[in-house]
Amino acid sequence: MTRSPLSTRVLLTCAAIGVATGILGGIAGWITAPVLATVPIVYGFVLGAHVLPGIIAQEATHLPWVALISHLVAALVASAIAPPWVFSFLGTAVLFGGIQELVAAMVRYRAWAPWRFFISGFLIGLVVALAVYFAADLDALAPWAQAVYLVLAVLGPIVWTAIGLAVGAALRRAGVARSIRR
Amino acid sequence: MTSAPPTSPARAAFDPYAPAAPASAVRFLYRLNPLAKIAGPAPAMLVLIFTRDIATPLAFLLLAYAILLVGARMTRRLALLLGLAVPGALLALGLGFSVWTDAARVDQSVIVWQIGGWTMYGGALVIGFATAFRLAAIVALALIGGVTTTGPDLVRSLVQQLRVPYRIGYTALAAFRFVPRFGHELEVIRAAHRVRGAHGGRGPIAAIRRWAGYVVPLLAGAIRHAERVALAMDARAFGAHRTRTERYLVPFRARDVVFIALMWAASAGLLWWGFPWQLG
Amino acid sequence: MTPAERSPTPLLRIADLAITHEGADAATPADVSFTVAPGEVVLVLGPSGSGKSTLALALNGLIPHAVPAEIAGTVSIAGHTTADTSVAVLSTHVGMVFQDPDAQLVTGTLLDEVAFGVENLLLSEAEVMRRTEDALRRVGLWERRGENPDRLSGGGRQRLAIACALAMGSPLLVLDEPTANLDPAGIDDVYAALGDLVSAGDRAIVLVEHNLDAAIGFVDRVVVLDADGRLVFDGPARETLRAHAARLHDMGVWLPTSTLAALRLQRAGYALHPLPVTPDELRAALAVSPAAEATPAPPTPHTDALADPLIAVRGLTVTRGRQTVLHDVDLSVRRGDFVAVVGANGAGKTTLVQAIAGVIPPPRGRVRIDDIDPGRVHARVLAQRIGFVFQNPEHQFLAHTVFDELAHGLRLQRVPESEVRQRVDEMLERFGLTAKAGIHPFLLSGGQKRRLSVGTALIAGAPIIALDEPTFGQDRARAEELLGLLDALHRDGTTVLVVTHDMQLVAEHATHMAVLREGRLVRHGLTADVFADTALIEAAGLRPPPLATMLSGMTGHPALSGAVRLRDLPGGTA
Ligand SMILES: Nc1ncnc2c1ncn2[C@@H]1O[C@H](COP(=O)(O)OP(=O)(O)OP(=O)(O)O)[C@@H](O)[C@H]1O
Ligand SMILES: Nc1ncnc2c1ncn2[C@@H]1O[C@H](COP(=O)(O)OP(=O)(O)OP(=O)(O)O)[C@@H](O)[C@H]1O
Ligand SMILES: [Mg+2]
Ligand SMILES: [Mg+2]
Repeated sequence: MTRSPLSTRVLLTCAAIGVATGILGGIAGWITAPVLATVPIVYGFVLGAHVLPGIIAQEATHLPWVALISHLVAALVASAIAPPWVFSFLGTAVLFGGIQELVAAMVRYRAWAPWRFFISGFLIGLVVALAVYFAADLDALAPWAQAVYLVLAVLGPIVWTAIGLAVGAALRRAGVARSIRR
Repeated sequence: MTSAPPTSPARAAFDPYAPAAPASAVRFLYRLNPLAKIAGPAPAMLVLIFTRDIATPLAFLLLAYAILLVGARMTRRLALLLGLAVPGALLALGLGFSVWTDAARVDQSVIVWQIGGWTMYGGALVIGFATAFRLAAIVALALIGGVTTTGPDLVRSLVQQLRVPYRIGYTALAAFRFVPRFGHELEVIRAAHRVRGAHGGRGPIAAIRRWAGYVVPLLAGAIRHAERVALAMDARAFGAHRTRTERYLVPFRARDVVFIALMWAASAGLLWWGFPWQLG
Repeated sequence: MTPAERSPTPLLRIADLAITHEGADAATPADVSFTVAPGEVVLVLGPSGSGKSTLALALNGLIPHAVPAEIAGTVSIAGHTTADTSVAVLSTHVGMVFQDPDAQLVTGTLLDEVAFGVENLLLSEAEVMRRTEDALRRVGLWERRGENPDRLSGGGRQRLAIACALAMGSPLLVLDEPTANLDPAGIDDVYAALGDLVSAGDRAIVLVEHNLDAAIGFVDRVVVLDADGRLVFDGPARETLRAHAARLHDMGVWLPTSTLAALRLQRAGYALHPLPVTPDELRAALAVSPAAEATPAPPTPHTDALADPLIAVRGLTVTRGRQTVLHDVDLSVRRGDFVAVVGANGAGKTTLVQAIAGVIPPPRGRVRIDDIDPGRVHARVLAQRIGFVFQNPEHQFLAHTVFDELAHGLRLQRVPESEVRQRVDEMLERFGLTAKAGIHPFLLSGGQKRRLSVGTALIAGAPIIALDEPTFGQDRARAEELLGLLDALHRDGTTVLVVTHDMQLVAEHATHMAVLREGRLVRHGLTADVFADTALIEAAGLRPPPLATMLSGMTGHPALSGAVRLRDLPGGTA
């Protein structure tokens, strides 16, 4: 019998992380419109919060595929909470999760030092910056606002990555998911 | 051969498994495959990102409203979304973006209003509302699938049509059960921390520190619960074979193809009509 | 001769089993061998930590396949060695029911839930439906098949879990404390279903259970592990309990209430032979036993006369969401009372004590503690009046070490650091946590977490402590330890409020009882008086304490007939 490397236990741990961060994502979804209407230049920063499922899952388990699965669950849960953003949730899940998996795969799931997470954070920041730039027509903003926006959009995922790593470290201190981690 | 479940009198506040209540045949959206409701509007949503005029997104907004009004049952939630949330957001976003628009780059011929040294030009309003309509149209198109699909059905079609491994699909299904539980846990944790006087005080810094304190207890409880559920699933032969008996089929039928084709045709038509989508 | 020796092919054979959890330094269970024959019902007993749950997980291969642990010796079921067979294959031989009903649910309806396991076996849809219907009918839930499992009571959900296990078609069913988390009606519910199962006789059952009163009626055999996880007794249920009752009691194994009562009565000179292990046996033995010199039990001192109301609830109505959870509740608690708040699931017990303790702020002016309104004061002031212990201790932990956790309340009061240190050290000492001062609260054992949460509630010097289901999910030994602590606090003058489902606990410890039913306070009074109103108890979905049921109507023994507490029985302190 071929046994998947992902035990049910790992899968459901991802589900738990996905649900907890997905609730957060749903809330972020509902504050998107007010943020865009009042201070659009920080939107990229808010969107960066969506890196969390993958970071926490990878940091907690050090296993392949966990980032993508946690992202998928988070997106489904967030969509149930804030249905208008279904597509943006699914899109960010595939995109962010994909980038996080790719970066982890490039180092063959061996290196788990913080720098590795920050590389994926930086890549995600670039993608976010571009996507939102078009969708919200930031071209029309004053040059200073565009600059602030770009910096925040790239910085957002990096800061959120750091937050995710801190959460992972706190969970480890509390002895959670210890026996799963390789 | 599943029997129709007896309808239950009361329902929990959030029941992701609640079967869609029976709807008349006109409400066709419930009879479509969830993937069709994603694939149909998707191209339009992608192209809309690059439009800059008002007419094109407005046309798509009307299209989405028409589809929803005919094809979806009018619930309180949908009424609030369509009647209040979308128009409200449209207005707020339009004004917000207009304010943020760089005055140096717009047509300054029409002055709408002036406050002190600051002037709102008609050109800025046009740009701001173009953006607002664009986002509103994208959101309204997303609602077509968003309000007529249950999470479990979406998961099932991911497994049945897109060949996502069923173990991952069922992970997601089990996850829906976690949502109300974790929501309740979060409520209890907040009450507990508040009554113990953790990080009281006002302001964003205190709020951030408060929320940071909820993360570990919430996730720790969540992961331990998940581990117990995993044992219970393994004990019932979860993952024994490459496939499992599927009693709920979420078929992809001719009507789904028709829906996608119609959506794509309508999208192409509207886009062609509005081309070149530049600000007039 | 055990039944297994009579049977040619045992269903389950355990040989020299020792299991060491990853990171643990000793094996629990350490050395266990026994067999189970088809159709046999085996009860596994042992003190907390002896490895009963671990043993249960090994029976269907979850250990070692899903839980990292080292396993020595063998477990074989119907000829398969668990170490070499996948859990999926083993699941068709061993069905499992766990302690927490919520942690066994995966899908959205009862029907889907039972079908889930069968579908994994890749059987035809017709066969899936046949087995599902059969299993649901056997536990009496077929009529409710379309509902969301969340809408079942705790007992109902546990019956559902039994149906899920039955549907797998396994000849052996393993249940690990299936009633530990249930209210009295729920426990009856589950045991009714199990009783039906046993009388059908087509499944062997391995049952881990602390609540012997319910289980002893239908088990054939007991297997007893000691604190080190070694097998000490294996034999026919009643005979084994009878022969080794004293030894089992000393080991910390919980005995049937009737046996505890009988042991006590024997000391008082009653001739009860053989030692009764069921209520019926106790009554039968008492019926033929001459009444001993009746030494009336010393009356329990009540504190009624002592004091003025410390907690005053007046016309409290609480709504949550769109539901009115408490209707117009009036309650006065005097200094030094030990009040048990009881009622069925959802009756509003948690809401009431939380409103009193200011966890959910009550409407203005409806609750007074001493001189404050708990919903209107700063946490610092509140902590000096009342300490609240949440059902799950992890919810209330704030700090990264045990020391800081205790110090938090004092630092909030701006107590100087040197005094903080001194008072925290005292508290650590008192709760046996000194060696754990530097570690993360989440790394403590369940019992230690509970003690820490009680310590945090007490450290600011509150004269009132309120606890929400403090024995929930705890085994007897830990529960007893906690109750001893509460008794000691109560003796020292602390007012205690406790929410619980355990009627014997109420009878043994509480001076007063507050009975809630559907959000209304239907009775508040001295414990004995309230229990005497059997119609009220029944209507509130409760049960009288087991001892009272056993002894009610014992005409030959006037000294015993009104007893509800073990300590009311003659026989001195034990
Ligand atoms: N996942 C685990 N990892 C490490 N140690 C564990 C794990 N589960 C249990 N243990 C330890 O193994 C021992 C036996 O635990 P087990 O839960 O089997 O006892 P038990 O007899 O069921 O006790 P209780 O009556 O409290 O349920 C305990 O010392 C426990 O701390
Ligand atoms: N935050 C909430 N929102 C809505 N309803 C709630 C909330 N909290 C509790 N309820 C409802 O209030 C009722 C009483 O709840 P409460 O928790 O006080 O009952 P309980 O007596 O403690 O029950 P249990 O024995 O199950 O713990 C229940 O029907 C519950 O569903
Ligand atoms: Mg156990
Ligand atoms: Mg409660």
